[in-house]
Amino acid sequence: MQEPLLRFDDVSKVYRNGVQGLSHVSFSVEAGEFVAVIGPSGAGKSTLLRSINRLQDITSGRVLIRGEDISRESGRKLRAMRAGIGMIFQNYNLVYRLSVMQNVLHGRLGYMSSWRGMLGLYSEEDREKAAALLEEIQMGDFLNARAADLSGGQKQRVGIARAFMQEPELLLCDEPIASLDPSSAKIIMDMLSAMTKRRHMACLVNLHQIDAAKTYAGRIIGLRRGTVVFDGPPEALTDAAVETIYGVPASELAMKECVS
Amino acid sequence: MMNRQELYVCRTMAGILLLSFLIATYYTGFDPMAVLLHLGEAWTFLTEDFLPPRFQFTPVILESLAVTVALAISSASVAAVLAAGAAVLGSELLSPSKALAAAVRGTATFLRNIPTLVWAFILFSSLGVGTGVGFTALVITSFAFMTRTFIEVIDEIPAGVVESLTAVGASFWERIFQCVFPSCITGFISWYLYCLEVNIRSSTIVGMVGGGGIGMVLLSYLKAFKYAEASGIILMIAVIVILVDRLTDFLRKKAAE
Ligand SMILES: Nc1ncnc2c1ncn2[C@@H]1O[C@H](COP(=O)(O)OP(=O)(O)OP(=O)(O)O)[C@@H](O)[C@H]1O
Ligand SMILES: [Mg+2]
Repeated sequence: MQEPLLRFDDVSKVYRNGVQGLSHVSFSVEAGEFVAVIGPSGAGKSTLLRSINRLQDITSGRVLIRGEDISRESGRKLRAMRAGIGMIFQNYNLVYRLSVMQNVLHGRLGYMSSWRGMLGLYSEEDREKAAALLEEIQMGDFLNARAADLSGGQKQRVGIARAFMQEPELLLCDEPIASLDPSSAKIIMDMLSAMTKRRHMACLVNLHQIDAAKTYAGRIIGLRRGTVVFDGPPEALTDAAVETIYGVPASELAMKECVS
Repeated sequence: MMNRQELYVCRTMAGILLLSFLIATYYTGFDPMAVLLHLGEAWTFLTEDFLPPRFQFTPVILESLAVTVALAISSASVAAVLAAGAAVLGSELLSPSKALAAAVRGTATFLRNIPTLVWAFILFSSLGVGTGVGFTALVITSFAFMTRTFIEVIDEIPAGVVESLTAVGASFWERIFQCVFPSCITGFISWYLYCLEVNIRSSTIVGMVGGGGIGMVLLSYLKAFKYAEASGIILMIAVIVILVDRLTDFLRKKAAE
């Protein structure tokens, strides 16, 4: 049997202050899947994503990427594995003093020799690819704009282009729309959905909005206090399931969202 | 209106101030009345010996002015490059080890708290006088000062920005050159220019105690009682200091754009 693209094998994470971030999490993700991870604040959604590309170390268990345990790698091998995993952040995390083009080209750093990367000596091929990607996300007119001068939605699109520049097999998105207004949020979710589908790329998205999860995801994972309490298709996410994830009735949750 | 507590604090402060003045006067044998009495003498000295200033544009003076300016610029520049490296190691965010970061910060704080003049004296007594030693003294304090300020600039990079390059698989050096330095360059330049301003003043003083340049020439005129020429040189130094301040202000605004 072929190894899945991503497999969590009994993963636990205890922070130094004793907080249990993840507790015995096991699941796997196949190529091309679009998975939404939902759960209340502090449930461990970010911890889950950040242990996939080792922005955080796990305490026990294994995180396998195509059968290779990333939690045991270091140095060059770890860099190479990270290069194959894209990540998009709530706060975009671009290098704001640099141009849009330079930020997108950063997606190639994991594939280059360290000194070429340091000096920003990207190949002509990479530059053409970056320009094409920016065209695809309708940012072709902003190639030389400074990242700091863009709107939130535009910054997030540059973040997407940087991640796709890596040509990853797996894309991680930590609340990609939490800082955006509803219309920009829709543009970003539509782009993520279409672009990953076209490339048969697997995608894990942490979301606060249950309706967005239901609209875009082919599968939903519900976390509560570091444990997976729901894993299934959006149709299976009943009000009762929502209540187990959030600890409050679905109707109350909807009210809260309206108020906030 | 001040409330009771504020009034109390003010009174206590005034009391402490007065007391320390009295103690200090007693111990140093400083006599405020003597100053007032000698004010007239000092005034005559200033007006009759120093004024009018006599400007001389001899090669020696011009060359030593150039040496002093060069000393300030070169020491600040060398120190800036060294400090950029040290700041990377001293910042909690980037340093390969927490212990190393603490050691770098501690060393910088220690070095900075010893004034340039003291460094100059220490170095002169061990290495002899000369511009090379003056340069070293200026580099030490500039380096310590910029290491501290550069670390603060690095700490202001928004959380997660450097991490996003870790996530794409960038190496340590790629993160430094593609993310940290581009994010910090304006802050670095601004502190470098400030350091330059300070160094123009310090390099004159370091020169006076043996570091060469215009300070040395000024001292020789003072020792020879050629006060009119000395005041000419002092005014020339003042003009240069003002010009450098203007220039750095302009460059700082440019860099911020
Ligand atoms: N660096 C850390 N040190 C200590 N505890 C942490 C750290 N990061 C997260 N935690 C804790 O771990 C738990 C899970 O946090 P995590 O950020 O993964 O939650 P989340 O589901 O992403 O929440 P949110 O929706 O608010 O982003 C929380 O209780 C949090 O306080
Ligand atoms: Mg989170």
